[in-house]
Amino acid sequence: MLDRLSALAGRFASQGELRWHANVSTQISMRKGVLLANGQSRDSGVSARLFENGVYGFASAPRDDNETIAAVIAAARDNAESVTTRPRGRPIAPAPSVPGQGVFDYRSRKPAISAAERVAILASLDAALRRKFPNLVNVDLTLNANASEKALLTSDGARTYSYVPRAVLAVKMAVEANDGLVELYDAIGGFGEIQDQSFDAESLLPWLDELYEELRLKAEGGQCEAGSHDVVLDSELAGILAHEAIGHTCEGDLVLAGSVAGDRLGETVASEKITLGDYAQRGPDGGGTIAIHVDDEGTQCRDVTIIEKGVLKGFLHSRQTAAELDAEPTGNARAFSFSDEPLVRMRNTAILPGEDKRAEMIASIDRGYYLKRPSNGQADLTSEFMFGVCCGYEIRNGKLARAVRDTTISGVAFDMLKTVTHVGDDFSWSMPGGFCGKKQPIAVGTGGPSLKCKVTIGGRG
Amino acid sequence: MSATENASIGDFAAELVHKALHAGASAAQAQTTATRHLEMQFDNRGVNLARSTENEISSLTVFLDGKRGGATLNGRASDAVEAAIAAALAAAGAGVADDANDVAAAESLAPSRHGPEAPDRAAMAAGVDAFLDQIADRHPLVRTRDCLQSFDEFDAAFANSRGLRQRERRSRYGFSALFMAKDGLRTTSMNYLGLSAFSPFDDPFRCPALERLLHETTRSLDKKPVPQKFEGDVIVTPECLSSLVGPIVSALSGAALFAGTTPYKESRGHAIASPLFSLSNAPRDAEAPGGADFDGYGVPTQNLEIIEKGLLKDYLVDFFFSKKLGVPQTAGANRFVVAPGETPLSEIIAKTKRGIVFSRFSGGNPTSNLDFTGIAKNSFYVEDGEIGYALEETMVSGNFQELLKNIHAVSQESVDFGWARYPFLAASGVTVSSK
Repeated sequence: MLDRLSALAGRFASQGELRWHANVSTQISMRKGVLLANGQSRDSGVSARLFENGVYGFASAPRDDNETIAAVIAAARDNAESVTTRPRGRPIAPAPSVPGQGVFDYRSRKPAISAAERVAILASLDAALRRKFPNLVNVDLTLNANASEKALLTSDGARTYSYVPRAVLAVKMAVEANDGLVELYDAIGGFGEIQDQSFDAESLLPWLDELYEELRLKAEGGQCEAGSHDVVLDSELAGILAHEAIGHTCEGDLVLAGSVAGDRLGETVASEKITLGDYAQRGPDGGGTIAIHVDDEGTQCRDVTIIEKGVLKGFLHSRQTAAELDAEPTGNARAFSFSDEPLVRMRNTAILPGEDKRAEMIASIDRGYYLKRPSNGQADLTSEFMFGVCCGYEIRNGKLARAVRDTTISGVAFDMLKTVTHVGDDFSWSMPGGFCGKKQPIAVGTGGPSLKCKVTIGGRG
Repeated sequence: MSATENASIGDFAAELVHKALHAGASAAQAQTTATRHLEMQFDNRGVNLARSTENEISSLTVFLDGKRGGATLNGRASDAVEAAIAAALAAAGAGVADDANDVAAAESLAPSRHGPEAPDRAAMAAGVDAFLDQIADRHPLVRTRDCLQSFDEFDAAFANSRGLRQRERRSRYGFSALFMAKDGLRTTSMNYLGLSAFSPFDDPFRCPALERLLHETTRSLDKKPVPQKFEGDVIVTPECLSSLVGPIVSALSGAALFAGTTPYKESRGHAIASPLFSLSNAPRDAEAPGGADFDGYGVPTQNLEIIEKGLLKDYLVDFFFSKKLGVPQTAGANRFVVAPGETPLSEIIAKTKRGIVFSRFSGGNPTSNLDFTGIAKNSFYVEDGEIGYALEETMVSGNFQELLKNIHAVSQESVDFGWARYPFLAASGVTVSSK
């Protein structure tokens, strides 16, 4: 495909990109033993984007023959030229970047597993769970695999091919408590294809046993007390904190839109124990849940240190935001599908580990919470964040006490991160199937260590 | 070009069904949807992207001895078609047999056409000008991002092995804006408005909600937490209600009834909300750009009274769960409408002793019991009938079952988003707290 794109690249009259892109996914979902989804999908095509007269023109089509590719390039040019109303008054050309080169093929070397084997994974887990725990009111199991395959060529000389897969197994269980139903959710997996994961029943049953025990404790648990509390955030929550609360505010397009981070470059915004970055390839430990070497503008990806020892150091850039903010492109321009234009997106975003022990953090709190697992999260340009928490425990006199029901935590990240007193040595990548939404969805990785800090907890208690 | 590549989308969907049967399926259905999208993306400084896309997506579902499998492809390349049929059959062969797995028998509707034939690009461009001119004149502290003037066309055809055929063409304009205010170091939260209509948004300010939201955004530069935790009223805006309706209708769905996880499982005919509250699903409204004539099984959609004056009239049960639960099908496509009330918004505010104007919910996923907790974004404190300061770092907690019962006023005013229509609601019993 790269060779075919190359042959047509001469049709670019101005700076541009030509991308062939296919998304392939498999989804199986089972509720109480009944298959609600059992299939796969493929969505592929070509797109072209050109920068002319201070405006991007973009076009795409769901085919990849030479005639279509030529038509898409022409349509992108026509689109850019069609903007006769309010083209930007001060066109700024995208900043030059280091053109990315190379083939990055992460498809599994193991034989693909069959449709029957995929269904058997869920069927065996469902049967085992419902046999072992007959009081479960509901069991939802889902197995999702997706892969993004791209060939990209730019007028600046980038030329690259990539195939990046992920696979995730998720479970949600429900039991009846005295005051209604209580549910708990968790997911495992991440980078690679289904056959690269350990999704057999023998490997998974200890995880499911632990999850059921946490659900049982949650059903016997109570509501959180609303207000500001000392907490220990598990590494699962630190990852979502890095992404939602800090990462978004430091995306170049959001800095241009007025994010509070734009005013604070070079300032201390966190405890000096906090170093946070957005990492290319597979992250600092090679274990991130996505792989990215060249972004969808053709820029060679590089790591971005966002916060270094508490000081705000840098932002995430496309070529356009880099030009407008007098910075260098970082390789953060990513598109979800062939019909999407590249946007400034995060990659593997993480708080780096420290030297503290989680047990010592818990022991240091008289009255607070250990918050173990998030359900969802949102952030804002003010750096105010919110995470749903579906699993957590009270801390009383330095020890874990009763479990708590679902709650929400919030804070202003640039204030909250200054309250961090401990950073754990227990780094992990979390949210293995995580997608971020911002005009388009995109696969992201999030990671971090345990943290001791102060947050606002919602609740009726 | 082969005959397949030149076929109409109706014939192509029927051909997918025919090929699946020929390959061994006992029953099959296919929906092919051709889409075209045009957008102008802009911010305060002008247009930064003009984008056009086209696609054709086909979803094939095959049935084999009571088992079901599916595959979705785009385009019509013969190798992709053959691969999709093989994958769907393999998935079905590996599936779990269930009596609810079947194609539908229903009335084939006459082909329909909703919306304009082609985009009015000049009107869309005029809408960009009108928006930016008025932002500059009336809301100089507001910054915008990723605002869109768009036009979408959908041409959908359905076929199944029982001879059911459907065809619907629908096109609509869209306007959406993300905005915030910034003054020196003071910054507000992002706010958002998304609308769709059959006519172009040549002046988006004809929707009164836009002016209200922009005005509130600038006012939000001066914000503070509530003085102390209290239980009070919430005046839920139409924009906020659009995010709260989801968990409620999910709890009234066939999927939730089957899971046994809904608190409303024995509630048909019972009062589950205030008599002031009526909720309907209206996908067949002729004036609604966000509707649909048939669902994913090819079954004609229907308008449905879900909650009428507080009484639960019906659940939202789609084709699969109607067979699974042994009840009639009532739903398949969604476009929700909450009926307006008789109270002017100004009167609702004037009668509020203590509470908040609840403009956007940024919260955790509600529990199956419908408990919710989250941040009240873009919201305002209300005391003694007056809207006061904007709120920051303020959380709301409550339960949607209780909130529905505690509704004590519904506004005359409502916002028609195109994809839904909602009024303002006032309800009591929500806990409001700050750090």
